[in-house]
Amino acid sequence: MGYQIAEENVFSSGHSACPGCSEALAIRFILNTLGPDTIAVVPPSCIAIISGPQPLSSMRIPVYQTTLEASAASAAGIKRALVSKGNDHTTVVAIAGDGGTYDIGFQALSSAAERQEDIIYICLDNEGYMNTGSQKSSATPSMAYTTSTPAGKLTPKKNIAEIMAAHNIPYMATATTGYPDDLARKVAKAKSIRGGVRFIVVLAPCLDGWGIPDKFGPRTSRLAVESGVFPLYEVENGDTYTLNYGPKGVPVAEYTSIQKRYRHLTPANVTCLQEEVDRNWGRLQAKCFGGRGK
Amino acid sequence: MANSVDRVPSIWTTGYTDILSTGTWRNAVAVHQKKNAPCYGACPVDGDIPVWVHQARNNDFQGAWRTLTENNPIPAAIGRTCHHPCEKNCNRSEYDGAVSINALEQHIGDMAIREGWTFASPAEELDMAVAVIGGGPAGLSCAYQLRRKGFRVTIIDANPELGGVLRYGVPEFRLPKNALAAEINKIVDLGIEVVTGRKMAGSDLDELKKKYAAIFIAFGAHNPKRLPQFPPGDARIIDGLEFLRGVRRGTPPELGEQVVVIGGGSVAMDIAGSVIRLGRSATIIALEGRDAMPAPEEEIQDVLDEGALLSDGAMVKSVEEQEGALMLYGVEVELDPAAPAGVIRPIEIAGTGFAVKADTVILAVGQDPELADWEQVLTVDRSMVTIDATFMTSSAAVFAAGDVASAERFVSTAVGDGRRAADSIIRYLGRQGEGSSGLSAQIPEVVFTDINTFYFPRKEREERGKLAPRERVADFREIRLGFSAEQAQEQAERCFSCGNCIECDNCYIFCPDMAIAKNASLPLHYTVLDQYCKGCGCCLEECPRGAMGVMEESK
Amino acid sequence: MLLNGNHAVSYAVKLARPNVIPVYPITPQTPILERITEFQADGEMHAEIMTMESEHSAMAAAITASLTGVRVFTATASQGLLLMHEMLHYAAGARAPIVMFNVNRTLGSPWGFWPDQTDSLAQRDTGWIQYYCENGQESHDTTLQAFRVAEQVMLPVMVMHEAFYVSHSLEAIDIATQEQVDRYLPPFDPPHRLDPEIGESWGNTVSQVMFNNHRHDMDDAMNRTVAIARQADRELKELVGRGYGVIEQYRCEDARFLIATMGSMAGTARDAVDELRSEGLPVGLLKVKLFRPFPLDDVREAVTGIPKIMVLDRNFAPGTGGFLFQELKSALYGMESAPEIHGYLAGVGGTNISPADIKKMVTCAMAEKPSANSVWKG
Repeated sequence: MGYQIAEENVFSSGHSACPGCSEALAIRFILNTLGPDTIAVVPPSCIAIISGPQPLSSMRIPVYQTTLEASAASAAGIKRALVSKGNDHTTVVAIAGDGGTYDIGFQALSSAAERQEDIIYICLDNEGYMNTGSQKSSATPSMAYTTSTPAGKLTPKKNIAEIMAAHNIPYMATATTGYPDDLARKVAKAKSIRGGVRFIVVLAPCLDGWGIPDKFGPRTSRLAVESGVFPLYEVENGDTYTLNYGPKGVPVAEYTSIQKRYRHLTPANVTCLQEEVDRNWGRLQAKCFGGRGK
Repeated sequence: MANSVDRVPSIWTTGYTDILSTGTWRNAVAVHQKKNAPCYGACPVDGDIPVWVHQARNNDFQGAWRTLTENNPIPAAIGRTCHHPCEKNCNRSEYDGAVSINALEQHIGDMAIREGWTFASPAEELDMAVAVIGGGPAGLSCAYQLRRKGFRVTIIDANPELGGVLRYGVPEFRLPKNALAAEINKIVDLGIEVVTGRKMAGSDLDELKKKYAAIFIAFGAHNPKRLPQFPPGDARIIDGLEFLRGVRRGTPPELGEQVVVIGGGSVAMDIAGSVIRLGRSATIIALEGRDAMPAPEEEIQDVLDEGALLSDGAMVKSVEEQEGALMLYGVEVELDPAAPAGVIRPIEIAGTGFAVKADTVILAVGQDPELADWEQVLTVDRSMVTIDATFMTSSAAVFAAGDVASAERFVSTAVGDGRRAADSIIRYLGRQGEGSSGLSAQIPEVVFTDINTFYFPRKEREERGKLAPRERVADFREIRLGFSAEQAQEQAERCFSCGNCIECDNCYIFCPDMAIAKNASLPLHYTVLDQYCKGCGCCLEECPRGAMGVMEESK
Repeated sequence: MLLNGNHAVSYAVKLARPNVIPVYPITPQTPILERITEFQADGEMHAEIMTMESEHSAMAAAITASLTGVRVFTATASQGLLLMHEMLHYAAGARAPIVMFNVNRTLGSPWGFWPDQTDSLAQRDTGWIQYYCENGQESHDTTLQAFRVAEQVMLPVMVMHEAFYVSHSLEAIDIATQEQVDRYLPPFDPPHRLDPEIGESWGNTVSQVMFNNHRHDMDDAMNRTVAIARQADRELKELVGRGYGVIEQYRCEDARFLIATMGSMAGTARDAVDELRSEGLPVGLLKVKLFRPFPLDDVREAVTGIPKIMVLDRNFAPGTGGFLFQELKSALYGMESAPEIHGYLAGVGGTNISPADIKKMVTCAMAEKPSANSVWKG
């Protein structure tokens, strides 16, 4: 494993994440890669809980907790204020959940991207409003159980990666906790780019929300990649596609069968899901290899 | 004009959560644990295989040799002759092929010879002497272990040179004598007294006991078993071991054109191979079916490639004269599966009679120890010296191992028993032994499902190269090529290192609570932080090699 | 300089040297921000202008920029102000000394663009300090005062003037000089801010007791504000020669009747008072400039011995009536010989109220006993 954690210890133990939490793991890699000269913005989410109860913080950097809609706007405000004081070295990063990115926070994010705000925006995507008890968000995939879609979600997951790529931002990447070296490399790359929104969506399997054992976070995220549900790729400036880890022919049934949120699936459902995965992968393949990609 | 406020707004956060204890959340804690790898469990010499393979992986071949030779002083020899149960049990065999442990052992042994590495001298000199009767694998192993501890050791062997079955049994094309001699020299160079050409008898025991504080008997089994259908005294019917000794001495017995070898074990294959190299044809008749023959499949195939013929599942019933040659009349048989263990009961298959002409018959149906006058002084049972669990015979201070005391008849088992017997002797003589044989029932063994195969991209197992059969039979040169340096490196990398931490840092990396700290000074390299570990088990799951366990905790 | 009310504000903002200005257009405040972006484009201003996609985001960015330790300004009106409502609470709770100019405009539904103070008055509980201005000059000067007060008490301040009557009407405006403003507004450099070198965070979930303490702190800050506002007004007057007080008493000596109002209505009432006085009626004008915190002591002092007050509210809360009427009654409750108070709804929705209309209302109020509720007067 080529991953080297920079020993910054920016993220402290003693935080309140659930045992085995993928978001906590992601935060560890993200913050330790970004280093101490960083200011983070966090909306209401599991991330906010992990940030710590007053007067304690789990992050050894200034963290501002904002309202659920406002992560990107808040991050932009900080960055502009720093620039106005002549500080162009401090990194400003928004770390938001999928609810605060795909849904209520999307407007602010889209606008920040259009305005080319100099911020990094990382979405920790656990495919639902997990902090409030696993309700559906537009990041929830087809047929998954949530407490607001108990019979399974009828609509597919919104493709935030492609939407953000279409904003022609300098850097868009997908990542997940089962591949820490890939995630850290992408965070480092986002940090090295100056100007424009750098967006990374990190698939973070939620143990409680998805119904998987405490120790299966990284394993589940790898199955997501290897089955083609969540390929890992990068898009630069909206048109240069690089595939990092694509599907390895693992059937989607192997991915869904370990998650209780898919427990109700019939074989016909699984076939449907496989078709959806194959279709999405086909689209992405065309972009990666169909003449425009690296 | 002042711009400050009287009271600091109460909402800025200034402390950190690392003062909190989240360790109170858990019911069970992860522990780093050296577990037993199945190769280690199967190894007749209790070799710490994952450790030395890892050293090889890191290009520390001398370190690997030192680890190997803790348990086995003759890796170049064993790497050519061991029946490698380690590979059968290797977890990687359930993935993409077992690790080439045997080949790696040979490579390391050969490198030690090439590089001239030597064993470290004993740390102290003890004023106690032990006699080792028999300089074969068991004897050499025992002598080596005793000498390392500082005992004065004398090896007494009946043959002109040490090596026992390794020299006089295994042919040159399987184990070149130069390699064997080099390894024996390393052992003797520790300061062992060697007396060759001296055959000890039971009547010598009293004298030995006066001179030596303990005696180790390991003179092997060289009395050929006989089959009643082959009349003794006929010069055309030769004992297999006698034949091989003659080949070794350079004075093989006269052979007719068509040689028939009776037997299904390695010895029979070695004999057939030697016969072919001496320019004769060889036909092997084995009682067992090919799958059940004691010889390893590779050895059977090798000799068939070289031109031998095989009649397996066949039994010679009678032998008759025919124009100066022998006619062997036999029938195909099946072995009775209901026969008790250790008893071979062939059932003739009607209508499968055959006849084979033989100018020479070489018998290789097993051998027993020569115990004629040892029976007076030691308890003997079923043609072997009786020993207890500590390898002690019925006579105090007299120990025995190897073919003389065991029906196992594997070279590596002899080496292992030699070491274990040495340990008993050491403790018997009041010194600190190494304790148990290493395999404790308390320590779990790693199974394939404990391995996280994501971390091991598929990579094929490589075999050692072999000369082409046509090349091989021209003379007695070694037929198998050892690994190159690149091959050794690559193949060592395939080892999962089951249950043996190699500091890959996965446990450290995948903890969402940073509850694992690195500590290179600890034997297990890491500690789990009691204050923070929530007991999620990610470290266990992500450990590629099952080197972690769970400890339940009660509040 | 001849400027409309909005542009008068723009000049004040330029002089105050804010670092970050999030903007979002809405009628009728757009010209404030347009003039600011022109200053920026011409190189007369060097701020980070953020063209946000909504007012909610504008206030979100304003809060964080302020917490990063820089001076911040934004402007809005009506719907935009209401879209920000969540963030207004957030800003005050964050003790972010943001200055925002809000042009009072009717609130939908139904749609309208008319002067009406309901939009900002409905935010009176958010923890923001509130000023109501009568004309462009006052808006210019009050904007400057707002920065000073905000940065002393560490609470955000909103300054109001009405749609079109003030925002778009041209006046001769005395613009302060940069030198005067630099002396009046020293650089903003708060000891607590988002800064990796300090390492403090803001926004973690607090306990009940912490929350209680925090609200108490805000109360303390509000309680200090009236005196600080008075002081800020005095200090600006020393520099530029113009002052307004936190309330203004116009021709209140020996008055027996006061017209109490806020905003542009004060200007109209001023004319009515002059006419009434020339007719021999002892009427004075009580203009409430600082509305939040309500200057209770100043107002009580102003109305001591006055038997009657007529409140003119160009605003209306269904179920309550006029805001100033309610606040005044509440402020004067328990006062010895408190005056009778008439609450008249005048100009709700932007209807035109002339001095003649006011005089008629005065006549009415003098003749009647006050109702407990607001009375619709046009």
